[in-house]
Amino acid sequence: MQLAALLPIRPVTYLGHVLISAAAGAAGRWRFRAKDLGQIVADCSARAVPIVTVVNILVGAILAFVGAVQLIKFGAGIYVADGVAIAVAREMAAIITAVVMAGRTGAAFAAEIATMQANEEVDALEVLGIDPVDFLVLPRVLALLLMMPLLFIYACVTGLFGGMVVAAGMLNVSAVAYVDRVGDALSWGHLGLGLSKSLVFGALIGLVGCYCGLYAKRNAAGVGVATTSAVVVSIVGIIVLDAVFAICANALDI
Amino acid sequence: MTLLAVDQLEMRFGERLIQTGVSFQVEKGTIFAIMGGSGCGKSTLLKHMVGLLPPAAGSVSYNGVDYWQCEDAQQAQLRAGFGMLFQSAALWSSMTLLENVCLPLEQHTTLDATQRDRRAREALEWVALGEFADYFPSDLSGGMKKRAGLARAIAAEPPLLFLDEPSAGLDPISSKRLDDLVLEIRERTGAAVVFVSHELPSLFEIADDGIFLDAQSKHPIAHGSPRALRDSAEHPTVRAFLRREEPPQSALANTL
Repeated sequence: MQLAALLPIRPVTYLGHVLISAAAGAAGRWRFRAKDLGQIVADCSARAVPIVTVVNILVGAILAFVGAVQLIKFGAGIYVADGVAIAVAREMAAIITAVVMAGRTGAAFAAEIATMQANEEVDALEVLGIDPVDFLVLPRVLALLLMMPLLFIYACVTGLFGGMVVAAGMLNVSAVAYVDRVGDALSWGHLGLGLSKSLVFGALIGLVGCYCGLYAKRNAAGVGVATTSAVVVSIVGIIVLDAVFAICANALDI
Repeated sequence: MTLLAVDQLEMRFGERLIQTGVSFQVEKGTIFAIMGGSGCGKSTLLKHMVGLLPPAAGSVSYNGVDYWQCEDAQQAQLRAGFGMLFQSAALWSSMTLLENVCLPLEQHTTLDATQRDRRAREALEWVALGEFADYFPSDLSGGMKKRAGLARAIAAEPPLLFLDEPSAGLDPISSKRLDDLVLEIRERTGAAVVFVSHELPSLFEIADDGIFLDAQSKHPIAHGSPRALRDSAEHPTVRAFLRREEPPQSALANTL
């Protein structure tokens, strides 16, 4: 069997189309409206903060609980800070934030564009000579690429805070001692790895959400299917990419 | 002067033949109707003409240039020469009416922001929606959306307009108002209009020429103005359609 027959043609064509449009944009020919980008950025940053806060505080606290139960047996409770810091910075802040964003923002992208498809709004853009990838996909992917790293940093802070509350409550670790241990445990390598993941996950969520919307069937059921697919594919993709990151980080000794 | 020429167009949905041998020309200042029963391929034909769907065979030429043989850049240039009103109006829901009308001007003219804003407001005033410029499409009734869609289609003053069932779903007064607007566009700008419609009063009032697509034989069965076809068409399906008579048994069997 030829290699071309094995390739999923439409997603590959779509990805190529987005990359070409992004290259043209980078050369100074962005075709979307600044106002649209601003609105999307606001939606996938400030409006996502409450849920990102809650989820990451709880994940930090859960990590601290799990660590505390084991470490307390060895009288090494203070090292719960190390465990929480490394787990949050390397893995959990990026993954959990990405899963949350896939559920709220990726789904919203898919639903919005699928509805536009059903209402012939995408056709109206094409008749006007406006490429839907330029006008609809690029601002969404760009917004997530810009905001995911910021949300990751914020998620790290909130996750560490959640861990600190548990460390203080269960192990009587003072805030100063906790922060001191976190400072010792964290390296730029951990943070860089998490930051890189957040960028890749952001691109994935944006691309998948817009793809599912653009190729949705033109009816109400199509909008539902597009939304579900966007969330499912994004979450599976996040886990797969995280595994790839884990292998690469191990190989590169990060 | 021929603005649009469709020659031996063949339309298919996958392997299924929808229409074949579709040929007609649209002259400057003409209002041309595409007629036919439901499912005969009228809207698909419109999609072939506006560049949304490539035909299985045949050509669509604007001023002698075959659209589907052109490179992307030339297709974009040709698209600047027409406006379109979709059946659902297809206004961009995240934009106000003013922004909806401004976007084609931004795309197809060299006007600056102030001039675009003025031209868009004029277009909205013309369809009696001036005071709704800052409203979103979701705040409007069906008839208002259609008029806003018409304002968007004519804002850049293209020489050719495509209207997909402009009167569908409108009350008789709104429908008549839209017909009057179409006649006014032709009067003011000299634009040619190609429209798909089932509405007999609209067809008789505004169309100068037209083509009748038949779902059963899968090719055009009549060509001429709807009024003339109503009075003298020989084909029983055309007569039945335009006179609202009992359709021939063969056409009825196909429809049901």
